[in-house]
Amino acid sequence: MVILFNAFNGLIQGAFYALMAVGLSLILGLNGVINFAHGGFMAMAAYFAYTLIPYVGFWGALLIAPILAGAVGYVVEQLIVRRLYLRDPLYSLLATFGLALIIQDLLRTIWGAQGVPLTIPDFLNQPLSDVYFFITGYRLFVVALAIISTIGLFAILRFTRLGIRIRAGNSDLETIAAVGVNIYLLRSANFVLGIMFAGLAGILAAGQIGLTPTMGDELIMPSFVAIVVGGVGSLLGSLVGGLIIGVASGVTAAVYPAATEVIIYVIMGIMLVARPRGLFGQEGLLE
Amino acid sequence: MSNQNNFRGEIGRRGLIKAGAALGAASLLYPPKPSWGASESPIKIGMVDSTTGNFAVLGQSTIKGAQFAAAEINKKGGVLGRPLQVLVEDDAGSPGTGVDKASRLLDQSQVDFFTGTTNSAVSLSISQYAAAHGKLFVCSGGHVDKLTGPACNWATFRTCSTTWIMTSGNSGTLVKEFGKKWYFLTTDYAFGHSEQDDYTKQVTALGGTIVGGALVPVGTPDFSSYLIQARAAKPDVLCLLLAGDDQINAMKQITQFGINKDIHIAGALFELEQIAALPQAAHYGSWSFEWYWDQPNVPHVHDFAKRYAATYGGQYPSARSWFGYASIHAIALAAEAAKSTDSVKVAKAMEGLVLPPEVALQASAPVYRPEDHQLMLGMFPGTVKPAGKYPDVIKVDAYIPGATIAQTPEQAGCKMVYPS
Repeated sequence: MVILFNAFNGLIQGAFYALMAVGLSLILGLNGVINFAHGGFMAMAAYFAYTLIPYVGFWGALLIAPILAGAVGYVVEQLIVRRLYLRDPLYSLLATFGLALIIQDLLRTIWGAQGVPLTIPDFLNQPLSDVYFFITGYRLFVVALAIISTIGLFAILRFTRLGIRIRAGNSDLETIAAVGVNIYLLRSANFVLGIMFAGLAGILAAGQIGLTPTMGDELIMPSFVAIVVGGVGSLLGSLVGGLIIGVASGVTAAVYPAATEVIIYVIMGIMLVARPRGLFGQEGLLE
Repeated sequence: MSNQNNFRGEIGRRGLIKAGAALGAASLLYPPKPSWGASESPIKIGMVDSTTGNFAVLGQSTIKGAQFAAAEINKKGGVLGRPLQVLVEDDAGSPGTGVDKASRLLDQSQVDFFTGTTNSAVSLSISQYAAAHGKLFVCSGGHVDKLTGPACNWATFRTCSTTWIMTSGNSGTLVKEFGKKWYFLTTDYAFGHSEQDDYTKQVTALGGTIVGGALVPVGTPDFSSYLIQARAAKPDVLCLLLAGDDQINAMKQITQFGINKDIHIAGALFELEQIAALPQAAHYGSWSFEWYWDQPNVPHVHDFAKRYAATYGGQYPSARSWFGYASIHAIALAAEAAKSTDSVKVAKAMEGLVLPPEVALQASAPVYRPEDHQLMLGMFPGTVKPAGKYPDVIKVDAYIPGATIAQTPEQAGCKMVYPS
């Protein structure tokens, strides 16, 4: 029974990892940037939401804060990330790593190191039943949103001109540049889209756990692992990867709690040895 | 694409080395921040504590308390007629960084004494470093028992409580009022292990049983899987032995799952800073507080709280602020008594030092015990007020003088040796 609970709980957790990983995966795919500042953007959007809630309510903030974070993302892309596209990925890795530290310190300076409570609507903040006490309205809402936004993203990628270009760019950037697509504009749009996903995940996380300047640090590693397991460059892979590590760490908690964190890295290690491109990844994307 | 490969070759060796060297050089240029104006020959206290990382909030409160004390001392003419300077360095909650920063304070700023630390692991490493380099270290905030037990040394004193003092502050009441079946959620490092050992000993001695427990890695964002385990064990008391931001995450999820409705939530350490970060619904539980700003009928306390809040924009002093405050005052008092800044002499003077009422700020007069250098501070077992508004959030049930619940020096297991 406990194992079943934990497996189910792991699915909920995994859906959440997946939501975080999708934005990261988008940016990695088309922009070729391993965005270490993703956690920073998550926390930033959550702080935006915290500040906005008294004025526009939780739902308003959930809509506006990711857009604001996306706007900051646009500026960052224009000023920093764009200049590094032609360079080795190591450059953008270092740049975004520095950026992560800068964002964290900015948040600490503006909102203070002390955590702040992000209040979620009362009706979501209850367990749905006494037996399945770990399924709260809020967690179901997070899962639903993760599913809807992923389907939405797939629809954009499949049916819109922008999406088709993003996918085309993913497989051969030079060719679509040659046929006249403005790849700089395309990559800016893609970066902003990825940051907006980060923002959404950040707000949802802050509603469930505490909101502190360092919250991104704790959440970013599982999303990286989800991408590696699922396959670099594949959105579906990130989704499945997130679910796998969520369930794995949930079940581990029932058997040997101290290993819940290490288990996801063990899975990543096995994956890197047995199938380096991940479950659904393209071969040699980052080589 | 071919020039990309050239780039790759360069970043691999020279570029990376250059970047690394530049980073290293830049950090050397950062001078430690003085909290007192420059003077002829100030007495320097090197303070290593967290201003970033998981313990940043607690570290910053400690630093504020220390700087507040230094300002008070300097206003009254300093120590031995010299100004007192507190030089702060960030340990980021990591023992390695802590020792790096301590050695920088010693080599570059020639500090006379050390204080600070919030993470017990950092406390232990700075304690070793200080003793090896012949400098006094007054640990303000690392609770692990063995710092003034088997790992004690002549140079190390401690202002905050041991985990034993903290846990025995409320273990008796909890077993009596809420039940004998206990479950632990424990942070997985020295501090948590020490707390859990102490509670286990005390609860079993009172006839209770431990029905389970889980060690939780530091920085765990999601506690749902642990909480499923905990509830399945059906304990009377769910004992949270977490630290820093982890406690906040756990408390928030416990509320969301409604677990605090049928299981009593308790623990040793719970801080004013953490309560402030929690939504109203997560204000619950029984804890062993180490100091509180609201102690009616105890002289000097309200005056101190008011002056502190005026200095720091309405922020009230927490237990952490008091640790920093008392540690700096203790060093100053001991140096005055020793009429010297020599660490060995000051350490001798600090043995048996009784904090005066305006520094102790509690109903008893705590002493730095000579045998193990542990301050006998009192405990304030109590509960979080469910409808309390900051800063009035804690209901203190009792005040228990530390000397009545501390392990004897023999039980603590300290053998004090001075350098010959």
